[in-house]
Amino acid sequence: MSRVYVTGLGVVSSLGFGRDAYWKAVVEGRSGFSTIESFDTKTLDRTVAAEVKGFSPRDFLTAAEARRMGRCSAFALAAARMAVTDAGLLPKHLAGDRTSVILGTTMGEADVIGELEESWIHGGNDAVLPNKLPLYGSTLLPIHLARAFGARGMVQTLPAACAAGNYSIAFAADLIRAGRADVVITGASELLQKLQFAGFVRLGAVAPERCQPFDKNRKGLIVGEGAGVLVLESEAHAVRRGATPMAEIGGTGLACDAHHITRPHPEGIGSLVAMREAIARSGVTADDIDFINAHGTGTHANDKVEALVIREVFGSRPVAVSSMKGMLGHCMGAASALEAVACVLTVQTGIYPPTVSYETPDPECDLNLVANRAASGRADIVLNNALAFGGYDAVVAFAKPGRLPDPNEAYRAALSDNAAAAAAAVAP
Amino acid sequence: MNPYAITGYGLVSPIGIGAEAFRRALVAHSRGGPDVFHDHPSCLDPKIIPQPTAAECFDFDAKHYLGDKGLRNFDRLTKLLIVAAKLALEDSGLKQDGVHKFSPHRIGLCSATAYGSLEAITEAVQVSELEDPRFLNPNRFPNTVINAAAGYVSIWEDLRAPNVTVVDGNCGSLDAVLSSETHLRNGRADAFLVGGGESLSEPLYLAFRKLDVLAEGERVFAPGRRESQGMRLGEGAAYLCLETQEFAKSRGAHVLADIVGYGNAFEPPESQALLVHVSPLAVQRAIRMALSDAQLTAADIDVVASAASGIPHFDAAELSGIEAVLGARPCVIAPKALFGETFGAAGALAMACVLSWFDGVEIGPVVQGKRPEHIEHVLVLAVGYYGNASAVILQRRTATAVVA
Repeated sequence: MSRVYVTGLGVVSSLGFGRDAYWKAVVEGRSGFSTIESFDTKTLDRTVAAEVKGFSPRDFLTAAEARRMGRCSAFALAAARMAVTDAGLLPKHLAGDRTSVILGTTMGEADVIGELEESWIHGGNDAVLPNKLPLYGSTLLPIHLARAFGARGMVQTLPAACAAGNYSIAFAADLIRAGRADVVITGASELLQKLQFAGFVRLGAVAPERCQPFDKNRKGLIVGEGAGVLVLESEAHAVRRGATPMAEIGGTGLACDAHHITRPHPEGIGSLVAMREAIARSGVTADDIDFINAHGTGTHANDKVEALVIREVFGSRPVAVSSMKGMLGHCMGAASALEAVACVLTVQTGIYPPTVSYETPDPECDLNLVANRAASGRADIVLNNALAFGGYDAVVAFAKPGRLPDPNEAYRAALSDNAAAAAAAVAP
Repeated sequence: MNPYAITGYGLVSPIGIGAEAFRRALVAHSRGGPDVFHDHPSCLDPKIIPQPTAAECFDFDAKHYLGDKGLRNFDRLTKLLIVAAKLALEDSGLKQDGVHKFSPHRIGLCSATAYGSLEAITEAVQVSELEDPRFLNPNRFPNTVINAAAGYVSIWEDLRAPNVTVVDGNCGSLDAVLSSETHLRNGRADAFLVGGGESLSEPLYLAFRKLDVLAEGERVFAPGRRESQGMRLGEGAAYLCLETQEFAKSRGAHVLADIVGYGNAFEPPESQALLVHVSPLAVQRAIRMALSDAQLTAADIDVVASAASGIPHFDAAELSGIEAVLGARPCVIAPKALFGETFGAAGALAMACVLSWFDGVEIGPVVQGKRPEHIEHVLVLAVGYYGNASAVILQRRTATAVVA
């Protein structure tokens, strides 16, 4: 089982394009929130989102590419081009069947389907343009990227709602570990779209102006959009081309609450399993984790349960925790991918992103928060939490290269623990 | 890959609901049974869609399987998937009389869909556009999210191991096999429900009619045959229960067959302007990779359950890809001739056909080649609309083939 390294990062976000601009904004604690311009929010009573402004597809895409894809794919391809350049990968490294593309999303090309539906509803069947139809289909996200890079391995979209980024990164790492790919371009992309925005508002989940993760007076999330892309490589491939690994992907934990479609389990049973698995499969213990990039949406339910789970896993040890959603908004499928990019940069720089807009401590969220200002600290092994809609929980560990034990031993240990758990398992 | 045991399956299809009814329908069809393509599916409003031709799960009533309570906010896709999952869990013996016999913490779900719930999206856009976004129903809105249906399956059946939704067009439920295999191999679960579903809806039907690929009315529908003039839409959901050999053996499960190989490939079109295209080369590479994964050779494949749907150039490309790797010898079948194109469910329904063949049902409908007297290995294919293809190999479970 090979080690899996992150060798390149790409970002499209409300905080900036490219990892350097993005990271600078994150470290400074800037806000990506602004008044929504891409659609009319009248009657909704909510007007703020972390909208990506000034994104021109032609800055990153050829004319043919820009014509054949929607905004969600364009975000993904732009971020992927940055990540590939960042990794120093040449076309010869990517061409062929050993390169795969695995992407996450919640809604995919939501604007394409939205426009098709609207023209149908208002103008009838004749108003629907046939050449627009094939542009829908979340299947296309990774296919656009594969075409751009000459990749001919597996192409797959994993719509795991707000855990989609982590689900994709975890599966991409597993593909490399299983020897089914040398390089995987992975991450997630998401759009701010009016129907989905209205839906979140109707669910009562959207805050009026700002998002205050873990604050006692938190009022909900701020919807965001963007794409985060990571290049993952097998150790052998990275060594062969002389690449410098930025971070190693450690253990990954996946589980399902099986509780409620939009609310987390009150005791966070799925999140607990996912966090513990990510730690165990890294071959370390909770004491070795230096920092947690929390899901921290700023909703009452999520933050309370997540804090409970973190305390359950870490006991009285005050591990440093932060949520970036007060700056970045909740970019849904792309959220954990953008946060994964930040985790890699935390591992590289030893800087923990701040939890902004934090004012009033909440006894129900008793955490060692990196409040309002970025902090420095040890960052050998960090966790990225994603606890999503549908009860999907996914946690990924990132580590300084050379810091983690042999993944074979870590996985063997996790397997035998699971086998013991299975043997002990009886019908409930 | 290491072989994984298939210990049961559950499905909802236009030709039957549940493994036994499906099997009976295949037998009936081999004797010239009824055609399930209607010109008046109940889920398509004739005022919106005049004279459609499609196969719906016409006698499907979720209440019959799930009871009266808690279904109000489910869309059709969710109901199809939950019933298929319930039937699969019962068929495999993981549940008996509605009770889990083994820990649900160790049962995962890997579910494919190509388009998610267009029904829910349409409903929401109608409210938003024709009334006001303020009137969106917060209990129905979650259905617009692609993984909502699989999320509901996990809640209904209390499945707590990884829950994965795969979107890969027609290849989805075969790609779900790789996903499940990866998670089983890594010890994230002991068993996985693997498959997918797709529901028939007005926007889906209109989109394919608009693309002019449907064999409606007088147009010939003959998947895999030269005279075919188009495809027909179906719908359904199917899950196979896939288990590690150790788990299947330790619980004394009845094993129906083993999955022994997986392959996939993507080939871009030559023209930058093209989006929709089919690649015989991708089909070839997917088959070769599956053979190598299963440590088999072309000569080992007795039957191919093809993805032929009736769109002439797609079927021709697939058949040429099959012949390039396997020659003209294997018997090629077109399961979609029976129940139409079911996208996310297609691969899983094809695998359900294969399980019936292993169980003695006559192989069909045959596109080319001769029915072999004995089948040991069947290759199941899926071909995407954008240049991708996937392949899975199923192996008959015999006394000699039992894996330690």
